[in-house]
Amino acid sequence: MSIAATHIDHIVISSNDSAATAQIFAEHFGLEIKRTMSRPGTGAHLEFAKLQEVVLEFAGPGEVKPHDGVTAKLGGVVLAVEDIHATIAAIRAAGFPIGDPHPAVQPGALFTGMKGGTNGVPFGFIQYNAIPIPEPSP
Amino acid sequence: MLSKIHHVGVVVQSADQALKFYRDALGLPVTADRVIEDQGVRGVLLQIGGSEIELLEPTRDDTGVARFLATRGEGMHHICFESDDVGAELEAARVKGIELIDQHPRPGLAGMICFLHPKSNHGVLVEFATPLHEGH
Repeated sequence: MSIAATHIDHIVISSNDSAATAQIFAEHFGLEIKRTMSRPGTGAHLEFAKLQEVVLEFAGPGEVKPHDGVTAKLGGVVLAVEDIHATIAAIRAAGFPIGDPHPAVQPGALFTGMKGGTNGVPFGFIQYNAIPIPEPSP
Repeated sequence: MLSKIHHVGVVVQSADQALKFYRDALGLPVTADRVIEDQGVRGVLLQIGGSEIELLEPTRDDTGVARFLATRGEGMHHICFESDDVGAELEAARVKGIELIDQHPRPGLAGMICFLHPKSNHGVLVEFATPLHEGH
């Protein structure tokens, strides 16, 4: 069984001040911050930049607490796949633990993560256009 | 100009063990696998879309990768941006006042490479790379 992983969908950069870290990356590497949002449910502050097919997601608390300095680290990788159910089956068949799929923040997408990650890397998988997006009511 | 994410680097205890997930379970093709003697690492690149995942296994104890593994364990080590001119990127970083690890580009698994000090990027280790030939 093979996994049709098409590309790295996004790389998470976790920070205690995600806006500041996004700004540093924008200044240092010429990235354009395309979008900012609060994650539904957690209130986490997210900022996004994109280089070709890969999104850099800067993630941090919704309310920045006083700190001695901004600290950030690479926080995980999410791969885009063509069939998340086949992905889950293949990873389980290979003996690695992975959760069940659930709707992602992105409309129409399904997401799943590997419990505890692998080799210290929090890993996720996302399939776009996996579930119908309801038509808006007239 | 930085054009894309070339790879993310992952420090592992054993590349052979890690390949059971990345190559065998995920089915990612290995595009390079070699020991870089002067850096004391075995590096393995696996392609996914237009980017790669780089596994780094220390081959001796006196390197930055070995110290990372000893102090933090396995995990994400760095992110690498691709450029068609790593030297120009390095000079631009110097002009911006970014602290550098490498003062000059040097050969690496991804081509001509250089590293910026994580202090300048809130703790995130960043690499620039110019592949030596198309597609790598």
